[in-house]
Amino acid sequence: MSNQVAVLMRKAPYGSVYTAEGFRTIMGIAVFETDVSVILVDDGVYALVKGQNPAKLDMKPLGDGFPTLAEFGVKSFYAHDEALARRGLTVDDLVVPVQIVSSSQIAKILEESGKVLPF
Amino acid sequence: MKIGVMILEGPYQHQAVDSAYHFVQAALARGHEIVGIFLYTDAVNNANKFINPPGERNISKQLDELGAQGVEIVACTACSKFRGMRPDLKVEHVRLSGLGSLADYLKAADRFVTFGD
Repeated sequence: MSNQVAVLMRKAPYGSVYTAEGFRTIMGIAVFETDVSVILVDDGVYALVKGQNPAKLDMKPLGDGFPTLAEFGVKSFYAHDEALARRGLTVDDLVVPVQIVSSSQIAKILEESGKVLPF
Repeated sequence: MKIGVMILEGPYQHQAVDSAYHFVQAALARGHEIVGIFLYTDAVNNANKFINPPGERNISKQLDELGAQGVEIVACTACSKFRGMRPDLKVEHVRLSGLGSLADYLKAADRFVTFGD
């Protein structure tokens, strides 16, 4: 049986717990030999932006954790082209290398993953 | 078919847990197998045995009944700590466990369904 899981990051990194828990889930299931792809859409692309400083929210910067995911075998990061473009972001603004993907490419990745965890 | 379920929202504020409950009942009625239900983030609060809504559906009781029927239901240990959901506050048929249980359900399931916002 396929053990490929796509984790879909849809929301801004602060303001709700989704992105933080998405990150914990990626790490948590990757440890148990799950093949994880991370797909960033909508405000989810902000999770990877460099230089986050949420000290005034009494929180830790979420972006810092993503580069460590490679140690857990998580190496497939995808970002939606339109989501980046609408927010004036490029790959140079992000903390890990990502593949830029179109809507139809995301649809294909989701289909091939079989299981999708939306956060 | 083997189906895994994750819930991301707490009781009454959001429909997620109600939808999951009805989905699981319908799936079981059609002969599908539920490999497990993972209560993540605020969803751990659905397992609070002191939930007592006058005249309304009792969400923790509904989950407890599913558990009593043999459906495995796990509440995330770390999320429970964050929210003060102590083991003695839980209904009988929900147990605490970590993301390893989620990984197990993902592995065992043919399909996996998440209920959240």
